[in-house]
Formats: sequence, structure tokens, C-alpha cells
Amino acid sequence: MTKLAVVELKLLTREPGAIFSLLIPLFILVVFGSSIEPGDTVLLPMALAIAVGLVGLYMLPTTMATYRERGILRRLSTTPVRPGNLLVVQLILQLVLALTACGLLLAVGGTVLGAHLPTGVLPGVLTFLLGTAAMFAVGLLIAALAPNGRAANGIGVLLYFPMAYLAGLMQPTDQMPDILARIGEYTPLGAFRQSLRDVWAGGAPSPLLLGVMAAYAVVISIAAARFFRWE
Amino acid sequence: MAVIEVTDLRKRYADLTVLDGVSFSVEEGEIFGILGPNGTGKTTTVECVEGLRRPDGGSIKVLGLDPVKDGRKLREQIGVQLQHTQLPENIKVWEALDLYASFYANPRNWRELLEEWGLADKRNARFGKLSGGQKQRLFIALALVGNPRVAFLDELTAGLDPQARRTTWELIKQVRASGVTVVLVSHFMDEVEELCDRVAVFDRGTIVAIDTPAGLVDGIDAEHQMRFTLMAGDMVELGGLPGVTGVTRTGNRVVVTGRGDFATAVTAELARHHVLVSDLRIDKRTLDDAFVALTGRSFDSTH
Ligand SMILES: Nc1ncnc2c1ncn2[C@@H]1O[C@H](COP(=O)(O)OP(=O)(O)OP(=O)(O)O)[C@@H](O)[C@H]1O
Ligand SMILES: [Mg+2]
Repeated sequence: MTKLAVVELKLLTREPGAIFSLLIPLFILVVFGSSIEPGDTVLLPMALAIAVGLVGLYMLPTTMATYRERGILRRLSTTPVRPGNLLVVQLILQLVLALTACGLLLAVGGTVLGAHLPTGVLPGVLTFLLGTAAMFAVGLLIAALAPNGRAANGIGVLLYFPMAYLAGLMQPTDQMPDILARIGEYTPLGAFRQSLRDVWAGGAPSPLLLGVMAAYAVVISIAAARFFRWE
Repeated sequence: MAVIEVTDLRKRYADLTVLDGVSFSVEEGEIFGILGPNGTGKTTTVECVEGLRRPDGGSIKVLGLDPVKDGRKLREQIGVQLQHTQLPENIKVWEALDLYASFYANPRNWRELLEEWGLADKRNARFGKLSGGQKQRLFIALALVGNPRVAFLDELTAGLDPQARRTTWELIKQVRASGVTVVLVSHFMDEVEELCDRVAVFDRGTIVAIDTPAGLVDGIDAEHQMRFTLMAGDMVELGGLPGVTGVTRTGNRVVVTGRGDFATAVTAELARHHVLVSDLRIDKRTLDDAFVALTGRSFDSTH
């Protein structure tokens, strides 16, 4: 199991997509960050949501669907090791990837760009965990339904843009049609961004939105588990 | 001792019956061939035996274990090369071997396998950069890294050039010599003739014969021919010899048709009468002929 984790980690670092998931949000942060005022509370939550969304919708499903497509899960089930171990290792590593991306954003945003960093650690962590769980659940569902890695990749990208738009990651929500902004708040990514925003503003995230994310995480994971095929 | 016993195995996908009562047993230390045209259920059969697919009926025992119920215990003792499988593009050869070795309680030293299978200089190459033959050899090495008692190799030499096939065959013989029982799935006649101690011939989801390759060939009772050119001495009467069904002569060329081992009788008769011949040719009967005799159609026509 340790060796499996080590090898999978090596593979992840050789994956160009992983580097992109780290660099794209950072790039966006730096480009827009040059014009923010010190103490800004909007840009970092957006960048964090973009990063977690990329990992959840793009990296996770593509990796898992590719593993199934290539018969790696099947090959593993002929050994004494259960293929489920590989999925667990992957989930943990993708979580580490999301954490790394967010850590990088916080470090750069908080120091170089002088953006505001929230004081409430616990609400921040809770929001991060629930938002990541919701996005990973969507990713797992894509992995379960996609016939192969390429399709998973396509579905992930296709879903990413509308979800990012509704979540207010393409433009600020107050410039969006009211109805879309309201709907967007209850999408997984939108609830995540809004909750982060609340944390950054110094308040507690709304329990309703936290509940929404938890519900997405649970319901969509169950659906993913139901539809998942090993081969 | 039988290490694998399969009795009346049945499997269907939706309304397609793939295995319709397959029974065979594999003895310890032999190379057992599973031969048949495409789509006749060879892979389905071995994957049921490996515990990868669930049969709809029949019973399977491997090393005394039920592949479905005692799967975990069984998987310690078998090594598998699947027909359709890949590794991650970016994994290095040594990493794959090292990783798979870590799955087993008593693995082989993977560095030895690296040498044996001619992959030592590809140690640090990524899977995606290997040639077809190198990938295939890596798969076989991975099937052996757990130090298995039984190895299942599905389409061993698919995609290999003739030279690489020969090399692989030699290595498989060494695997048998080391005491590992090998189940070899193939749709190549020459491979089975070269390697297998016994072979089960599959056709449309059933086994039509199980025998040694030589036994299968000898078992066919089809006519074949021998030809020669008369050099010196007078032609003798061959028509009455056992097995001979016809003799035709055109100038000095003679063609004798017959069944069974009539050629021995003919050459003995010629020698006894001091008839000197040249250009002697006996049509070699092959497993191909055996397949036609068993199924009534040619092996290649089913592709
Ligand atoms: N999972 C599956 N679902 C539906 N049909 C299947 C499945 N697996 C195999 N089949 C069908 O079962 C039949 C036998 O397949 P199998 O792979 O066992 O044949 P094979 O003898 O190994 O052929 P080949 O020489 O091409 O490898 C084929 O018609 C195949 O299309
Ligand atoms: Mg097959």
C-alpha cells in the first residue's frame, strides 16, 4: 500500500495535467492580483474554487477513467491487492494535489499580492473539506459514467465551464443576471465559492450552503458508487 | 496431481452463450494450451479460472481453491498476463516490477526477471516508450514476479516478430523447467505445437478435443499424399500396402495417397525392391488439418 502510494505520487508528478491544475489558478491569481487593493476578499476565494474545481472535474475523473480503460484495475484484481486500494490512494493524492494548489495560492496571494487571509481557521477548513468533497463526488460520478479517459476528460471540461460560470468564477456575481447568480449559489462550485467568500469576509459560512455542499457530496458519491464499473 | 479442474463451465452474456459446458484439467508442471479461433471463449474460460469473471454454471478448482470464494488466497499463488491490458504511460519498467512484487508475500527478485526477460537496459524506460515486444515481455515478467505456482498467459506472443516469438518460447520452456504450471491461450498453431504438453481445442464455446499436439495430428484420419521421382529400378506395386488408397504415375513422378502411417510402409517396400527414388516428399499434417478434421471448417476461415 505504501509502495502503491509512492508510485502513484510519482506518476502524478509526471502528469502534465497536475502541473496545469497548479499553475492555471496561480496564473489567474497573479494576472488579476496585480490590480487588487490590499486586503481584497474576492479574488482568493475565486482562485481557490477554480483550483479545487480543476482537480475535481478534470484530474480525478480523467485519471480514474483512464485506469479503468487501460485495464489497470482489472490487472490489479488478479493480484492479492484489491483494486479498491488504488482508488483510495488516488483520492488521497488528488486531495493532496488540491491542498497543494490551494496552499500555493494562499502563499502567493497572502504575501506577494497582499490579499486578505481569513482569521477563522476552522470555518475555512470545514468549507474547504465540504467543497472539495462535493467537487470530488462530481468527479467520481464522471469517472463512473465515462466509457474511457478521453470521454471523462471531455465531460469534465464541458461541465467545468458552465459550473464555473454559474459559480461566479468567470465574472463577479453582481454582473450576472440575478436569476443565474441565485441558481449558481446552490451549485457545488457556487456554494463553495460563496462559503469561502463568507469566511474571507470574516463571518461564518451560511449553514444552508454548507449543508448544500454536504448533500451534494453524499448524494453524488452514492450515485457514483452505484454506477461505477471496474471494467 | 491436477492443479486446475474445470467441470461443465458455462457462461453467457445477455443472449450470447459463450461457454457451453467446458471441462478440462491441468496437471502440475505442464504447459497446457487453450487453442481456438477468435471469439470462441478462450479468454472467458481462463478469466473464470482466474476468478476475474463469475461463471454461470459448473465448478472450478485451482490448487484446491474456489476462485470466487477463496480468491484472495488463490491470487497469492497465480500469476496472470491479461490479453487486453496496459500500464500507466509514465510508469518506469523497474517501478512496475517493484510495485507488483510488493503485492505478494513471497515475490521473486524482480532484478533477476529484468535480466531474464531482456529488459535490463530498459529498466528506466517508461511504459509508453516501450516497443510492442518489450511491453509484452514486461507483462510476462509481471505475471511471474509473484513467484506463482500457476501462470496464465493470454496471447503470449501477440504483436511479436518471429525472432522475438522464438526467444519468448525458449523462456517459457524455462518457466516450465522451474516447476511452474503454465496455461497458455493462443490462436497460433505453431506456438501450441512448439510449447504445449497438452492442448484443448476450442470451437464455439466448447472443447472439441484434448490431447498432445502430436496426438491431435495423429488422430486425424484424413487422406494425405507422398510424392517422389523414380531414379533407378522398376516401379513396384504399392496399391496393396496397408493404408494406401491410390497411386498415380506421370512419367517418373509418383504420387501415393493414403491414410495413417502408410508412408513408412511405402518407403520400406521401395527399399526392399531396391527402387531408388529422389525428391521424396510427405505432406506434413499439422494442427491446422486436425482442426479441420475436428470442426469441419478451416481455422483461418473463422478469423
Ligand atoms: N464482457 C463481455 N460482454 C459481452 N460479450 C462478451 C464479453 N466478453 C466477451 N464477450 C464475447 O464472448 C465471446 C468470447 O470472447 P472471448 O474473449 O472469450 O474469446 P477468445 O476466444 O478469447 O477470442 P480472441 O481469440 O479474439 O481473444 C466473443 O463473442 C465476445 O464478443
Ligand atoms: Mg482472447
